[in-house]
Amino acid sequence: MQALDHFPTSTNRRQFLLRAGGGFGAVALSHLMAGESAVMKGAHFPGKAKRVIYLFMHGGPSHVDLWDPKPDLVKYSGQPLPESFGSVMTRRAVAKNPLLAPVTPFRKRGQSGIEISDFLPHMAELADEFCVLRSCHGDSVNHPQSVYQMNTGSILGGKPSLGSWVAYGLGSENRNMPAFVVMPDPAGGLKGGPSAWGSGFLPASYQGTTMRPGAAPILNLHPQDRISAARQREILELSGALNARHLEQRDFDDELAARVRSYELAFRMQSAAPEIVDISRESKATHALYGIDRKETREFGTRCLLARRMIESGVRFVQLYSGDTNGWDAHDDVLKNHTQYCGATDKPVAGLLFDLKARGLLEDTLVIWGGEFGRMPMSEKGLGRDHNPWGYSVVLAGAGVRGGMTYGSTDAIGLRATENTVHVNDLHATILHLLGLNHEHLTFRHNGRDERLTDVAGKVAFSILA
Amino acid sequence: MSLRQAILTVSLLAVVFASARGEEPISEADREFWSFRTPVRVEPPLVEGEAGPIDRFLVARLASEGLVFAPEADRRTLIRRVSFDLTGLPPEPAEVEAFVDDESPEAYAHVVDRLLASPAYGERWAQHWLDVVRFAESDGFEHDVVRPEAWRYRDWVIGALNADMPYDRFVQLQLAADEIAPEESVATGLLLAGPDMPDLNEPEERRHIFLNGMTSTVGEAFMALTFGCAQCHDHKTDPMSTDDFYRLRAIFANTMVGLKRDEKLGSVVRETGREVPVSFVMTRGDFQRPGNPVEAAFPRVLDPGEMAVSPPDGDAASSMRRTAFARWLTRPDHPLTARVIVNRLWQHHFGAGIVASSGDFGHTGEQPAHPELLDWLATELPVRGWSLKEMHRLMVTSRAYRQASRGGGEAWERALEHDPGNRLLSRMSRRRLEGEAIRDTFLAVSGQLNREAGGPSVRPPLPKEVTSTLLQNQWEVTPDEAGHRRRSVYVFARRNLRYPIFEAFDRPDSNLTCSRRDRSTTAPQSLMLLNSEFSLATAEALAARISVEASDTGERIERAYAHLFSRPPESDERALGRRFLDRGSLVEYCLALLNTNEAIYVD
Repeated sequence: MQALDHFPTSTNRRQFLLRAGGGFGAVALSHLMAGESAVMKGAHFPGKAKRVIYLFMHGGPSHVDLWDPKPDLVKYSGQPLPESFGSVMTRRAVAKNPLLAPVTPFRKRGQSGIEISDFLPHMAELADEFCVLRSCHGDSVNHPQSVYQMNTGSILGGKPSLGSWVAYGLGSENRNMPAFVVMPDPAGGLKGGPSAWGSGFLPASYQGTTMRPGAAPILNLHPQDRISAARQREILELSGALNARHLEQRDFDDELAARVRSYELAFRMQSAAPEIVDISRESKATHALYGIDRKETREFGTRCLLARRMIESGVRFVQLYSGDTNGWDAHDDVLKNHTQYCGATDKPVAGLLFDLKARGLLEDTLVIWGGEFGRMPMSEKGLGRDHNPWGYSVVLAGAGVRGGMTYGSTDAIGLRATENTVHVNDLHATILHLLGLNHEHLTFRHNGRDERLTDVAGKVAFSILA
Repeated sequence: MSLRQAILTVSLLAVVFASARGEEPISEADREFWSFRTPVRVEPPLVEGEAGPIDRFLVARLASEGLVFAPEADRRTLIRRVSFDLTGLPPEPAEVEAFVDDESPEAYAHVVDRLLASPAYGERWAQHWLDVVRFAESDGFEHDVVRPEAWRYRDWVIGALNADMPYDRFVQLQLAADEIAPEESVATGLLLAGPDMPDLNEPEERRHIFLNGMTSTVGEAFMALTFGCAQCHDHKTDPMSTDDFYRLRAIFANTMVGLKRDEKLGSVVRETGREVPVSFVMTRGDFQRPGNPVEAAFPRVLDPGEMAVSPPDGDAASSMRRTAFARWLTRPDHPLTARVIVNRLWQHHFGAGIVASSGDFGHTGEQPAHPELLDWLATELPVRGWSLKEMHRLMVTSRAYRQASRGGGEAWERALEHDPGNRLLSRMSRRRLEGEAIRDTFLAVSGQLNREAGGPSVRPPLPKEVTSTLLQNQWEVTPDEAGHRRRSVYVFARRNLRYPIFEAFDRPDSNLTCSRRDRSTTAPQSLMLLNSEFSLATAEALAARISVEASDTGERIERAYAHLFSRPPESDERALGRRFLDRGSLVEYCLALLNTNEAIYVD
C-alpha cells in the first residue's frame, strides 16, 4: 500500500518537526523524514516505462515448446542426452531420459519472423512487439525457491519483491490506490505462498495488495452487513472528531496525523477500488477482445482487463498469476497441460496487448510474461518435462523494449543458457533500468547493509533497449 | 608462453593465493571501536535532587543542553503505559482507580511488582524475543511443513521470562542445553527456529543454508553483529571476515548431524558424537566451493584467543563447543552480550534504544546516545544476577520513564526545539501498540480474552481471500472457539502466512531476524480496524459488556472510556458521544472508539 508519508499535507513539515511533541511523534517523524530522503522521489534518470504489468505463469512454462525452437531436439528426439552435455542437476530423476521434441510446431511470425509455437496463436500475432529473452537462467530446481528468486532476486524467503522495490522507488500515481497490486489465481495458492509479493524488510506499505474481481476486490474494503454505509460515515466522523481533539493536544504529532489520513484514504478506496474493478461499462467488443465472452478465457481475461484498468488509474505495478498450486508444472504431459493453460491465457494476454497498444499505453507500460523457470529437453514419464532453471525464456513487450527481436540463446537442445545469458539478477536490473531506476542505487539500509534487489550482481541487457 | 600469457598466469595465481590466504589481520584500531571493547563502568554523576542512577546520567546530559525532564505523567497515563509495556494489555478500570486513589509513596512500585509477577509479562516479552530468533511453527518454502512441537520452545521462552531466569543462563540453555542441562533441551529450539528446505535435492545445500542462517541469527540475536554479510564476502564495514563467519559456524557444525524430532520435546539439538567434522570456508557462500579448512573460534575482533573447549563429561556424545561458546558469550566482561540485551529492554520501554540500531552494533549502526549510561546498565546486569526483571524495574521506576509525553509552556517548547528526536529523553515517547497487542487489547477491553496459558497454538478463522493464497488445508481452524480468543502469542505462526492483523501492523517476516520492527501507517490497517469481522465482533462484545455494567447513556459512555482509555471522558467527548448515540447504536459507538488513535497509541 501506498506510504502515507508520501502524501501532501496541509501543514508545513518543518513546522511539524519543530512542534512534534510527545517524543515518539518526533522520533517517528525523524524516521519518516529519514525515510523520505532514502525514498526516491521518482526515478534516477528518465525511464521509458512508467508502469509494469507482470504476467506470471506459475509452475514453469516450457520454453522449448513455446518460444525457443530447437531443430536438434526434433532430430534427436527419443535419444538420451548426449554425454557432451555433462551432468545436469534436475528436480526429478530425468537426466537419463530420452529427449522429447517440441509437442507443437513452431512458425515464423510477423515481419520479424520470430518463431512462436502453435500453443500461442493469438500472442503470435503480436510477435513484432516482443523481445524474447531466450537465455534466462536462475539458481534452483525447486518451485518456491525459484518463485522467490524471480520475484525477489533471492532463493531464500523474506526479501522484498520486485513490485515492492518499484513501489518504494517510484510510489503510486493515484492517491486512492495502492502502488503495487497483485491478482492471484483464484484456483489456488502459489508454492511459497504470499511471501512472493511481500515487502521483506521494506516497510509494509510497499507490499503487494491483493485484489480480485467482483464486489469485494480488497479484503475488508466494505463494512460488515450489520453496518450500513450511512452509519459507517457517521462512525468515521465521530472517530475523526475525537482524533482531531487528541491530535491537537499532542502537538499535531505527524504519525498521528498520518493515521488520520490513512482513514481518509481507506474511505476513498471504498469507492475507488470497486469502480476500477467494475467492467460492466466496458464495451462488448472489449470483452470479446480479452476473451471474457468465452468460458475458458473468461477468468484470466477479466483479470487482464482489470490490469489495464488499474494501470490506467495510476497503479504502478500490477502482477497477475496464472496457474493454481501446480499450474504450468507439466511433469506428466506437456501437451495436455499447456493446451489447458495456453488456452486460458493466450487470448486474454493478446487482447491486453492489443488494447494497450490501441490506447497508446504500451508506449510507457512494460509487460512481462514468464514463469519461475522453463522445462527440460528430456522427457519425464514419456510426455512430460521436469523443471529447468538453467535456460529458459522470458518475454518483454512495451515501453523501452525493442520489439520483434530475440536476445541470447540456449544450447542446441534448450538445456542451458549459453549466449548473452540473462541471470534473474540481470533481468531485474534491466526491468529497473526501463523504469529509470539504477539497480545499484535503489537501496534500503537493513541490518547494517544497503540491500538491493540485485544483491551484488545484475547487468542491464542494453542491447534490448529501444 | 607469451608475455601476455605469463602476466595472466601470474595474476591468476595471485588471485588464487589471495583467496586462499588473504584474511585481513585485525588491527588495534579495529579493536578500539566502542562496541568491541569491554564496557567501562562509570558511576553516575551526582545531580542534586536526583537519586536514581539512570536519571542522574540523563539529567546531567539534558542540563548540558539547557534542558530538563518533563513533569511526571498523570497516574492514569502512567498505569496505562506501564501495563502495556510490561504485559501488552491495558489495565482493568478497577486497577486504574485503585492506583489513582492509592496515596502511599509505594503505590507505583506496587503496580510494577504486580505487573512483573503477572504471567502476561512473559507472554508479552516472549514475542520480542521470538522476532529476533525468526520463530515460526512451520518450515516455509514449498510445503511449509508444520512443526507440531515448535510451541514447546515458545512456552519455554515465556516460562523462562516469567521465572526471571538469569539472562546468562537463558543464553546458555538456548545454545547448549543438550550439553549442560539435557532436561531443558527444548531451549535449543532457538537454533532450529528458522526456515528450512527439506525438499532440496542436495542435502548438503540444505545443511549449508540452514547452518548459515543459524550462525547469522546467533550473531545478531546475542551480539547485534550483522554477521550474515560475511557468509559470502568479508564484511564491508566491520572487521569480520568470511573466515570468521565459518569459524563461528564450525561451532554449530555438528548440530545438524543430530537434528531430529524428539517425540516429547519437538525439535531439539542433539549431536551424535564428540568428533567434529572438518569445517571449511565456503567460497562466496557457495556450498559447492569449499575453501581452506577452519577451526571453530570466536570472532577475532572480540577474542583472538583459542576457544577453550572442556572435554565432555563421561559418556556425553557431544563436542561441547556450543557450551564453550555460550560460556564465553556470557562472561560478564563480554563487550556485547549485556549491552545488546539491556539496549533491547530500553528500546521496548522508551521507544528507541540507547543504540537506536538495536540489531546492529557495528560500524554501520548508530552510536549510543548515552554511552556511559549504556555501559552502566550493561555492567549492572551481571551485578544484579543477570535478572531481567530487576532491569525492567530499574527502567520503569526511573523518573525518565515516568515523564509526560505531552505538555506545553516554555520548557516544553524548548525541549521540542532542541531535542526534536527525543534522543536526550526530554519527555516520554508516544508509541503505537503492535498488531499482537492491538488484538489482545480488543479482546481484553471487550471482556473476551481467554487467558489460558501455553500449549499448542490456535488457528482462529481466516477470510477465504486469505486462505486461498495458501496451499490447500494449511489453515485448519481450531475447533474449540474459546481458543480463538487466546492471546496473540498463542496464535499459530505459519511462516508462509502472517496472521492478517499482525502482518498489517508490521510483524516481521519470520525468514529474517528482527530486533526493531517497522512502524508503517497504511490504509489496509484502517480498513481492517474499521471493517473486519473481528473489529465488529469486538464492538458488539464491548457494547454488551457496558450495557450490563450501566443502564444510562452517560454512564455507558463513562464505562466505554474506562475500558478503552483508562480515563473518564471530557465534557466535549461526552457531548459528542451523546449526540452520536441519539441516532447510532452502542455497537457503532464502540466501533468508532476502537478506531480512534487513542485506542492504539500509548502516551
